[in-house]
Amino acid sequence: MKTVMADKRWCKKYPHVGTGPVSTEPNISPDLYELEKEKVFRKCWLNVGRVDQLPNPGDYFVADIEVCSVSILLTRGRDGTIRAFHNVCSHRSNRLVWDKSGCDSTSTCGFHCWVYDSDGKLRSITDESNFHDPDKKALGLTPIHLEEWLGFLFINLDPNPEQTLYEYLGGVVEELKGANFDPFKRVFSYEVNEKANWKTALSAQNELYHVPFQHHATIPDFAVKKDERYVRLQDVRFHGKHSIYSSEAPGGLPVPTLGSQGEEVRLPLIGDFDFYTIFPNFALLIIRGEQADSFIVYNFWPAGVGASKWDIGFYFVPPKNVGERLALEYAKCLTRDVLQEDVVAHEQVQAGLASRAKPHFQFQDEEIQIRHFHKVWEETCGVSL
Amino acid sequence: MSLLPPGFDELERFEGWILASEKERHARRYDSSMDEIRDFYNAIKPKREAIVEYLNQFPMDELPADANRLFMMGLSFMEVSIAVEFFGRQQPVEGYDVDQMVAIE
Repeated sequence: MKTVMADKRWCKKYPHVGTGPVSTEPNISPDLYELEKEKVFRKCWLNVGRVDQLPNPGDYFVADIEVCSVSILLTRGRDGTIRAFHNVCSHRSNRLVWDKSGCDSTSTCGFHCWVYDSDGKLRSITDESNFHDPDKKALGLTPIHLEEWLGFLFINLDPNPEQTLYEYLGGVVEELKGANFDPFKRVFSYEVNEKANWKTALSAQNELYHVPFQHHATIPDFAVKKDERYVRLQDVRFHGKHSIYSSEAPGGLPVPTLGSQGEEVRLPLIGDFDFYTIFPNFALLIIRGEQADSFIVYNFWPAGVGASKWDIGFYFVPPKNVGERLALEYAKCLTRDVLQEDVVAHEQVQAGLASRAKPHFQFQDEEIQIRHFHKVWEETCGVSL
Repeated sequence: MSLLPPGFDELERFEGWILASEKERHARRYDSSMDEIRDFYNAIKPKREAIVEYLNQFPMDELPADANRLFMMGLSFMEVSIAVEFFGRQQPVEGYDVDQMVAIE
């Protein structure tokens, strides 16, 4: 499939997404932030990690979802099953596990030493005979809905989720059917605390129009063909709440040549660079490499109406020798610096939004996926702005 | 044992760039002058292939101590390469806070 270099293609293909101005209020309104907590983060499936964080029985990690005041303990039990629980002791609601991750077949509360198995069952109560007939079977950890898709772990804080994860992902499942993400390892991770609403940060990544300008020093021509001035996406696809944009990379991307001694390691790709926005706050970037493809994950977590935490993970086929490792370092440093350019811009945009100088965003045709995102956000929150 | 493997002695004056973590390498890039960075970059660049060839003779997890120091110097070279080749200054954006994007290592 070739990129068509015409103007205004996507609005004709997707007329339901509209062409009008879009309200900036969701990025700055404290009232909408409260609404978003309940309608988006307490209702939608949220990615909290990948199975490779829990390779062995007893492995655990903690995901704190600050916006919902929830701490989640994910464990792999002795039976090999991955489960999610509220990270809260049944006795008096103390935070059970304080480490970020580790391996232990049991978890012991630091307050009064109540002990839980990795499958959530309450194993022992300290000084049990002095309690009043406690029903130990009913006093296990409180489970949270957890489902897995291609190794990506999603939780849902709704006690009765309206859809299964696969129903929620809809057509995205078909797009990546058969994809094998297992050969890739999380080689680098970053945590960015930003003075920007999570949607301001996500939307800045959810288009390539800015690349020749904001990244003029680093990757100006990555998505722009020679003799063309502006970015034209190769494809844009919508599946329910989610979107994909895809681009050729005529100018190349900072990816190292890895896996030179082995077979090709491939992921499904529409173009050379596919950006999946899984509503609300998860992005999956699949990038073509010479011998081995790679992927990046982003999770944008709200930390207040004007603040967020951007978690970044780079997944590569592990380097086989020092030369590959050094090539990987170069690619990583360049990509990280490109993202640092973005971070500065996220905060400047948020400052501009907070000034309320402009009530609307103006989106062009190559930004239709952000327009779609805002439409989905408003529908999910039950508002029309 | 000398600091660096045989044949790489003249790089020993860059001992300060032998740093184990990305956080340290990144911070040193920000704290160095562009003259210091270019001096280091220009000294390593012509030796890149020789460094890779030397280090590739060992399994990745079994580098001898002197080779491991050369490897860490190589990682620092990659760090400063971005400053030299793309920005012409230490940081991507003027005034960027080096601690804002934290590498989880």
